[in-house]
Amino acid sequence: MPKEIIMPIFGFTQEESEILEWLHAEGDNVEKGDPITVVSTDKISMEVEAPETGILSGIRYQVGDIVPVTKIIAYILQPGEKLPENKRNLKKSKESEKVEEKTRKSATPIAKKLIEEKSLDIDALSGTGENGKITKADVENFLSRKKVLPGKIKATPAARRIGIEENIDLSEINGSGPEGRIQADDLKQKRLSSTRAIPGGDVPVIKTIPLIGMRRTIAQNMQRSMQEAPHMTLQIDIPMDALENMRKEMNVEQERKSEKVSLTAFITKAVALSLKRNLILNSQYSKKEIRILGEIHIGIATAIDDGLIVPVVHDADRKDIRQISREIIDLAERARNAKLKPEDLSNGTFTISNLGMYGIDRFSAIINPPQSAILAVGKMNRYFVPTDNNLPTIQKIITFNLSADHRVMDGTQAAKFLSDLKNIISEPKILLK
Amino acid sequence: MREISYMEALREALQQAMEKDERVFLIGEDIGVYGGAFGVSAGLLEEFGPNRIIDTPISEAGIAGACVGAAVTGMRPVGEIMFSDFVVLAMSQIVMQGAKMRFMFGGKAQLPFVIRLPGGSGTGAAAQHSESLENWFVHVPGLKVVMPSSPYDAKGLLLAAIEENNPVMFFEHKLLYKTKGYVPEEMYTIPIGKSKVVREGKDLSVIATSVMVPRSIEAAKILSEEGIELEIIDPRTLKPLDEEPIIESVIKTGKALVVHEAVKTGGFGGEISAVIMESSAFAYLDAPVRRLAGLDMPIPYNRTLEYHAVPQVENIVEEARKLVKGVY
Repeated sequence: MPKEIIMPIFGFTQEESEILEWLHAEGDNVEKGDPITVVSTDKISMEVEAPETGILSGIRYQVGDIVPVTKIIAYILQPGEKLPENKRNLKKSKESEKVEEKTRKSATPIAKKLIEEKSLDIDALSGTGENGKITKADVENFLSRKKVLPGKIKATPAARRIGIEENIDLSEINGSGPEGRIQADDLKQKRLSSTRAIPGGDVPVIKTIPLIGMRRTIAQNMQRSMQEAPHMTLQIDIPMDALENMRKEMNVEQERKSEKVSLTAFITKAVALSLKRNLILNSQYSKKEIRILGEIHIGIATAIDDGLIVPVVHDADRKDIRQISREIIDLAERARNAKLKPEDLSNGTFTISNLGMYGIDRFSAIINPPQSAILAVGKMNRYFVPTDNNLPTIQKIITFNLSADHRVMDGTQAAKFLSDLKNIISEPKILLK
Repeated sequence: MREISYMEALREALQQAMEKDERVFLIGEDIGVYGGAFGVSAGLLEEFGPNRIIDTPISEAGIAGACVGAAVTGMRPVGEIMFSDFVVLAMSQIVMQGAKMRFMFGGKAQLPFVIRLPGGSGTGAAAQHSESLENWFVHVPGLKVVMPSSPYDAKGLLLAAIEENNPVMFFEHKLLYKTKGYVPEEMYTIPIGKSKVVREGKDLSVIATSVMVPRSIEAAKILSEEGIELEIIDPRTLKPLDEEPIIESVIKTGKALVVHEAVKTGGFGGEISAVIMESSAFAYLDAPVRRLAGLDMPIPYNRTLEYHAVPQVENIVEEARKLVKGVY
């Protein structure tokens, strides 16, 4: 028996495939499972395998042909077999004979007479009688349907009333009734869906922001990060008094504001030093490996008019605190004036995001790919904290919230980073080295 | 609560009316000694004697003429047409005389007579003994047309018809005679011209008459299991028609099916349908008003053909289901 090779269906909605390549020619011997042809859907290309061992014959389509799925594209013959040339036609005529027989059977005599009189196409009619038999009523129904004038709307009185009452344009409604007639329920559905659509659908849009440039990059990066990197978040409250006292002392001598060392600079340096002890956070994740990076470049998320950029303090672990402070001030100013150079924004290995100045107590941030972690810094608040003797003291505290990629590290490693950060900030002299 | 048959309810109404009012008498073929073709007047001859239970020759024109004449001269006759089909022979007396006399005498004459008319198919009595002719009389000004579907309504409406000072055509159904139901022993009347919501439902208003009321109730039970709830309204009086409950019901359900046994063309369903269309219910219609009625043919003698010539429970189920599901 000649074996048919059919165009396979790869997806539920797929209707056709293109022949990309024939891997064998007619007359080739093929084994069952051999790839015979490469076909493509709109998404992928796939190989079609030989369903049987034999001789590839009767190729019906050439490269570039678009073939509906399940169509026969070729045959596998056994030695001595012939192509079933007439088989299809034979089958077809038998089938059509059957159909004809069926239609002849499936109309009542009076319906048949009417169909003949009006010279209607019997196939265009559907029967509602027993076993789908076409009745006189079906023919009359069909004829009345043909009379419908273009531009007229088929709707029940109830649907028309609701349309007027609720100011719904019936021409926009798809009727679910017989012959597409609009019924009351169809308008109820419309009413429901328009109620549902209120946040967005029917509310006037006053401005559109095109998804281009920075907005598009942010959208893509953040979505990718949230989808790909399993974020774990850890929080720690760090008393800032020691660091703040030290910073004030340093700044007393400085008259010019630009020479005063900022809190951000100290946090940046502290983070860099803690990273140096916990290099797993200073890393990149790729599909095959985790790359621990040998330099520490701290990005500082900076809001600008129409988005967000992350200028980088390079080698923050090795730089003097005053230099870091100057760099941050310089970067921020140039960011505002749009004068940053590409190198100012490149090679960040870790990011700090600080919303403390906006009064945010604590928050969690989304990792900036391909980095492995981001530190969200909240506002410095004053809290009553009991001493060992249970006496109240006032402490300045910042909540640091670390988001870390769990593919890269585990909770203890992230915790160790935060704990080291706390130690550094609590004994801040190390930051002056 | 006492349950008696439709036939017994009618007999009780006649008996109580005759006891109460000497002017009431019965006239018809075989109603005395034989007790009526369907036994409605059985025993009444013994109780009231041949002066008030009058057996006539085979002469429907005579029965109707005697009713008209007696009524206009102060009696309250109840005539029986053995099979309602035979009323054709009495048409002149009923339509030409009885229906018009009060009008033509400027209201000075009263015509308090009732013609009882056993009608309908289902007994194998063939084309001349199975018709449903009620709508002929609906079309005649001056007549009232009553069509009870239950024993309770049969008694109450017959007593009301006998008290009525205008001619009343009282259509009974042969298949209903043996159906039983609650009927109070005391005299009571059901006002002529009042319809009744037999069953409440939200999906489709079924307006049914006579034997089609119990059939519609059966259909409603079947459809209820599918989650389709029929509202059934029995007009009880076809003329004058109590339109308001029908209109209210259609406003509620948005769909209407009229079911009657009489042939569809020119039948009462057309009237009900038009009443709905002309009313405020029009704007609430969510499908065409449909009529399910007898085929346009004489009732066949063959029992199978007879069965299929008029709506049965399964036809009501199918038609109602299609309407509710939006096939029409």
